[in-house]
Amino acid sequence: MRENPRLQAVQAVRQELATLGIDPFGVQIDRILSPTEGLIHGRRTILAGTNNYLGLTFDPGTIAAAREALEAAGTGTTGSRMANGSYAGHRELEVDLAAFYGKRDAIVFSTGYQANLGMISALVGTGDVVMIDADSHASIYDGCRLSGANVIRFRHNDAADLAKRMRRLGDDAANALIVVEGVYSMLGDRAPLGDFARVKQEFGATLMVDEAHSMGVLGSKGRGLADEQGVLADVDYVVGTFSKSLGNTGGFCVSDSPNLDVLRYASRPYVFTASLPPATIAATRQALRTLAAADDLRLRLQNNAERLHAGLGALGFRLGAPANAVVAVLVGDKIEALRFWDHLLKHGVYVNLMVPPATPGGESLLRCSVSAAHTPGQIDAICAAFASWTGAKA
Amino acid sequence: MNHQDIVAKLVDILEPLAEGRVADIGENTELTGELALDSLRVMDLVLAVEDEFDISIPINALAEIKTVGDLAAQIETTLSANA
Repeated sequence: MRENPRLQAVQAVRQELATLGIDPFGVQIDRILSPTEGLIHGRRTILAGTNNYLGLTFDPGTIAAAREALEAAGTGTTGSRMANGSYAGHRELEVDLAAFYGKRDAIVFSTGYQANLGMISALVGTGDVVMIDADSHASIYDGCRLSGANVIRFRHNDAADLAKRMRRLGDDAANALIVVEGVYSMLGDRAPLGDFARVKQEFGATLMVDEAHSMGVLGSKGRGLADEQGVLADVDYVVGTFSKSLGNTGGFCVSDSPNLDVLRYASRPYVFTASLPPATIAATRQALRTLAAADDLRLRLQNNAERLHAGLGALGFRLGAPANAVVAVLVGDKIEALRFWDHLLKHGVYVNLMVPPATPGGESLLRCSVSAAHTPGQIDAICAAFASWTGAKA
Repeated sequence: MNHQDIVAKLVDILEPLAEGRVADIGENTELTGELALDSLRVMDLVLAVEDEFDISIPINALAEIKTVGDLAAQIETTLSANA
């Protein structure tokens, strides 16, 4: 069989990494030991490159709920909710999510990626306009592409730039869908949601906020950045994921829209995907209850974030944003960042290497994610591994 | 503004982005091929072009745009639709 030319190009990039003997995008955790530790290359390694913000993946209550559902309802649903039927738990989780946010209704998707694909592609179509932040996650770009709508980017976190672009739309601005994120996953910087809500109101448009990295972390009961900034009522659609603070997998949207229940029939990523297995639904419902009550975990997370941020700052590293669950160390050069990442792994610390075009500004960075489950000692060990790097600090 | 005026303005915007890869940018210069702009840089170019000409260019329109001349034609169409 002949080689696929597109994959050959990917192969060439992979080969470049292989010659360096470093593979940051194929790391295998041979055994997961806890929310914050795993065995990698036979070495006990601190995991600072997960999205396990509250450390709930090993929560006994969640595991018990999952086990019970697994025994009672089996391993999988073997089909999509529309074609093959929902289980009661799917709808119960939607009711739970709506109640948690104080919104009218909710819809559950099989992944966070599909939540953005499913929402954007159902809300807009050919001839409509979507306004997206320039630093949006790939799932937002892909959702836009699937929708067929006209996609206008505005400068990152810049509400004035959005307003300028809305003005150019004339009468179409009122029908535009504005999509932003709460916390951006590369640098950990927060969106000025109050400013975006004002632009939305000025033009009578619709606002969607992806709280993937802020749910469970920020706001009262962990409702996210929109809640923290007091604008949850102005956000028409809140999108989120079960795979970060909730420690499971899946995605959702909550909204006051009276049409949300029928959106599921117009959303191809919803219709044509198998629904989440019973154990995941049960575990997510339990994790949501835990998350809502976890002010203690949020405080530990914030303390850990501040400890890591202060520690790395004192070492002279350039950091992406004020202390937050995502602490990004800007390195600049890609090869330097690659060697730095490898150095950390060999010193027992796993972080995420992020390179352009996923990163803003053409810079490579080392992304640390903090968990409430990290001990202060682990945070100090992460700082010590960074301190042992003798290369350039950018 | 005619096509050549638009191309001239685009060349001004593109010259710093080209970093000397193409000595003589013109109508037929390819954005991703010869100028080697990655997808993100092309989208950032659109931001600058939108502000320069005070128009909206959806990024989905980029699928049809290969050269500086293609981009100029898109701008021309948008300007005449707005007029």
